[in-house]
Amino acid sequence: MHAMMEGPLWGVIAVASVAGVVAAACFVLMFWFIFKPGEKDPHHPKYEILRRDR
Amino acid sequence: MQSSPLAPASVTAEDEQALSRVFSAYTLTGTLWLLFGTAVGLLVAFKFGAPDFWAEKYLTFGRLRPIHTNSVFYGFATLMLIGAAYHVVARSCGTRLYSAKLAWLGLWLFNIAAVAGTVALSLGYNYGDLEYREWPWPIRLIFIAAVAVTGWNLLATMLHRASRDLYLSNWYIGAGVLWGSIIAIVAIIPIYQHGLGMMAISGYYMHNAVGMWFTPLALGLFYYAIPKVLNRPIYSYSLGVLAFWTNLMFYPLLGGHHFLFSPLPWWLQTAAVICSVAMIVPVFAGSANYLLTMRGRYHGRIESYPLAFLFIGVLCYLFGSTQGTLEALRSLQDLWHFTNFTVGHSHLTMYGFVTFAAWGAVYALLPLSTGKNPGRFGMATHFWLALVGMGMYVIALSIGGSVQGWDWIQHAPFIKSVTDMKTYYLWRGIGGMLMFVSHIVFAWNVWRMTFGKSGDAPSPIMEPEAESTP
Repeated sequence: MHAMMEGPLWGVIAVASVAGVVAAACFVLMFWFIFKPGEKDPHHPKYEILRRDR
Repeated sequence: MQSSPLAPASVTAEDEQALSRVFSAYTLTGTLWLLFGTAVGLLVAFKFGAPDFWAEKYLTFGRLRPIHTNSVFYGFATLMLIGAAYHVVARSCGTRLYSAKLAWLGLWLFNIAAVAGTVALSLGYNYGDLEYREWPWPIRLIFIAAVAVTGWNLLATMLHRASRDLYLSNWYIGAGVLWGSIIAIVAIIPIYQHGLGMMAISGYYMHNAVGMWFTPLALGLFYYAIPKVLNRPIYSYSLGVLAFWTNLMFYPLLGGHHFLFSPLPWWLQTAAVICSVAMIVPVFAGSANYLLTMRGRYHGRIESYPLAFLFIGVLCYLFGSTQGTLEALRSLQDLWHFTNFTVGHSHLTMYGFVTFAAWGAVYALLPLSTGKNPGRFGMATHFWLALVGMGMYVIALSIGGSVQGWDWIQHAPFIKSVTDMKTYYLWRGIGGMLMFVSHIVFAWNVWRMTFGKSGDAPSPIMEPEAESTP
């Protein structure tokens, strides 16, 4: 339908592979931080801003 | 806690007053631009239904449309976000503003650029069809100077922070001013103003003005205002850091998705589609972080209007950005490209996300800075008029834009796609009217939070929970 929808086969495979690995790693990290947020140390900066401001 | 490499400046009452005056001035002038820019937008919306109405050369669609977009982008949204950012950076860094004079200089430069740009566009001096950069280049130099001054001031304030750690909001705000400077400079380089290079840079600029300037500033405000209002820490700091770096990794290239099926190189178009899909990571990570921070406080969302504004901002960030990912797919671009669906999308993001975020931050933080509250009824009126108006606007244009695209795919006579839009243009106008009335109410609320008589709204900070702060 559109000529630019097609590209060189190995180009498509290379782009899709690299992008796929990076995106998959990012998704793993995202779910890891969602399910295991940690950060229990009371001196963590996320608690400090609640104390410092009025 | 370890201290910063640079000694933090001790904060005096005068410093607090100077910061409060800066925050108030940015918010007030930003509000004036909101009223002006959306009044023009409302006129433009009605011109779709009545194109001959007020058709003098100064009031033609071609001149008014860029006046609307540039004044709400660089007058309203920029000033509102920067004003609140000054407050957030100084407070979260536990120090005073590096220079109130620089903040005032930045305010003057932003306003001079916006006034000069508006006058130039009214007189017909338009830099071409380069979306969101229609101001003639000398005026854009003034805007770049304003961003540079602001960036210097914010980053210098961060350098003088009281602790070694830099709170998450500062990452986003600091990056926003750095990225904003880069895209504004790239967009003005002469070699990029011709041929395909111009189109590639146009895609780069128009989308990154949203994603690398307004988005990081708005997200930075979320990371401060949401924990502040809830009196509860952000759910996951690490998730916020992941969203930051993935936003930087995926956003810069995605502007090319505005030029799918164009003569731009195939690889650039494909890279733009891939980056648009990958944006799911920072968007879902950021939205999940905000929503998980709000978990269990549903009651508060109804009682606290600052939180309600922030909540809608988060939802529109999630839905608007996900919608953007879908729009970038070639199969769906076939249907929606050049239609009013895109206009609905841009209002869901720039209005639903960025504007509600700015309003939420102002309602949450300005009373803490000035000691004055808005009226509860005024806040409620603003919220519901803006929300219902935006809902009408976005739904009407999303349905109408799909109908329009379907007409084109079916090769129906072009005029059919015009007449099919009549009803949707009417609903868009009604929605726009409600939004504009809400802005008048917002202006009244801002007046009460700054120079007027304080209202009866309760403190924006909610009562803490037992488990919130270890």
